Amino acid sequence: MISITNLSKQYRQHTALDGINLRVQKGTILGLLGQNGAGKTTLVSILNGLTPYNQGEISIFGLPLKTNLREIRQRSSFIPQSFAFYENLTVMENLRFFAGIQNIRGKQLRQSIEQAIATNRLDNMLEQRAHALSGGQKQRLNIAIGLLNDPEIIYFDEPTAGIDPELRNSILQTIHSFKDAGKTIIYTSHYMQEIEQICDEAAIIHHGKIICHAPVATLLTKDGQQTTLESIFLKLTTRQKATC
Amino acid sequence: MLKQMLQKEFSLVLRDKHSLAALFIMPFIFILIMSMALKDTFNSERALLSYEVIDLDNSLDSKTLQDFMATSSFLYKPKKGDNRDIHLSLTIPEGFSASLLEKKAAPLLQLSAAPDVKQEMVLIFQAKISADIMRLRLLQIQKEIAPFLPDTAPQLDLDNFIAEELLQINYRGMQKNEQPTSTQQSVPSWIVFGMFFVIIPMSTIFINERKQNTLMRMASMNISIPALFTGKIVPYIVINQLQVLLMIGAGVYIVPLLGGDALTPGHSILGLAMVSLSLSIAAIGTSVLIAVLAHTVEQATTVGGLINILFGAIGGVMVPKFYMPQSMQTFANISPMSWGLEGFLDIFLRGYGAQEVLRESLALSGFGMALLLLAAFITTRRMNA
Repeated sequence: MISITNLSKQYRQHTALDGINLRVQKGTILGLLGQNGAGKTTLVSILNGLTPYNQGEISIFGLPLKTNLREIRQRSSFIPQSFAFYENLTVMENLRFFAGIQNIRGKQLRQSIEQAIATNRLDNMLEQRAHALSGGQKQRLNIAIGLLNDPEIIYFDEPTAGIDPELRNSILQTIHSFKDAGKTIIYTSHYMQEIEQICDEAAIIHHGKIICHAPVATLLTKDGQQTTLESIFLKLTTRQKATC
Repeated sequence: MLKQMLQKEFSLVLRDKHSLAALFIMPFIFILIMSMALKDTFNSERALLSYEVIDLDNSLDSKTLQDFMATSSFLYKPKKGDNRDIHLSLTIPEGFSASLLEKKAAPLLQLSAAPDVKQEMVLIFQAKISADIMRLRLLQIQKEIAPFLPDTAPQLDLDNFIAEELLQINYRGMQKNEQPTSTQQSVPSWIVFGMFFVIIPMSTIFINERKQNTLMRMASMNISIPALFTGKIVPYIVINQLQVLLMIGAGVYIVPLLGGDALTPGHSILGLAMVSLSLSIAAIGTSVLIAVLAHTVEQATTVGGLINILFGAIGGVMVPKFYMPQSMQTFANISPMSWGLEGFLDIFLRGYGAQEVLRESLALSGFGMALLLLAAFITTRRMNA
């Protein structure tokens, strides 16, 4: 579904991504782990065609990204960490706006909005202005907007940052439910436990390179011993261990 | 897609009370205040100068001279108990009457002027007194020649010397008996100023979209930069045109209710539309560029406000250009507000049409388009970094 070969991105003197190779299969939830500035957001941004890259090949849905950006964007969705909607519009107005600019109309518009509302349990707050919502409700709206085009791939950038633990769990359950609908999820987070909880695979990015990519279950039972992603992450990033 | 962008932008602006106040209430209040405050400046019937006469001659001629002065609409002689400052004090010396027709080395009259009286006012007074003295002299000559020309001399009607009968004044583009008013000057000024205040809602929304990654999200939904800019420009053009209509309405209907002069909006709807649309492009271009360059909403509103005030002060919005010295009037031409103001004054005040405002309209549109292209270039470069 997603194929990245030898991808590099340079910001003037700084190398953000350095020879990234990655394959993600359909229906997989891939957790992208890395310290701040490791290159997670740059990678997700490149995959959404928001940032140009210097070198490498990317194909999504079997289509080269550079020449099929429009179609690829129509079939995928990017959910930013910040609440990327309009605080002074109501929940319904926000949903209608973001559906409208994607040319979703008529019956499909109604169905998409109903689906997004139901999945994210926004029923009781449709006429409320977004600024009046709680942090968790705002994140639900943020996610709902990302579901309007019924994407096959969803990119989540730290969706639980700043959300209290109870709501975090509920958001994680919602995200995990997308797997059942056959969607592919790319999920960046600082929280290792979240990756353990919902991801099928984990990839650790360090200084612009992927230093580990493996199924989460394999990583957690390495050499027959139970371990944690946090422990693996720390060993790899502090060079106590060369590979996973 | 454009429909949704327009709906969104309108909803956001209409829900922002501060922006609405800056866009509609502020220029409306300025129009009311300035139309009333400057009312007398444009009124030819009002008294500009107060004066007193110290009559040491006490003759029929000195009394007649005072009668002539009393007919002037721009001179005011305070009554006893009126504490108004005296601007001019005219002394009629003893022997004035006797020396009226004599050629003397010493001046006929003495004038003492307060130091705050403008020089042009003293010159106007001097011209008035000269004309009155000439009338007195002619009256004396008339009396002296009457016995020799009994049929002709009395027909010289020198007692009824009315300026309006000698010179009829018509202002270009105005009906007979119409004259420029403070409303004609203040409505265009504050429309221009108010239109540039689109910087507040535009920058607030645009910078929030950028900071909240809403722009990034829209880009990931295949919204192109031209579509994004169109979605920004069109609503504010509509808002600017609403401002123009409402402010003209205020000048025509509300200012007269408060005792001011009604605005006469000119005769060229096409000319008005040309100035109004091109001014809107200039205001929006300035606003978009500031919104693109500023990092925070506070920065954009501060810089935008300062630029507006500077453009307004230089461009003749706050102080009408005719009050400025020639060098400042030339300097004023660097401000796009001055081009817009001249365009509106051409329509409202000078009664011109589309052809006469073409130059200003092209200059404003060119200025706005150049800034929009620069803003689009910077945005594209940032997105491709």
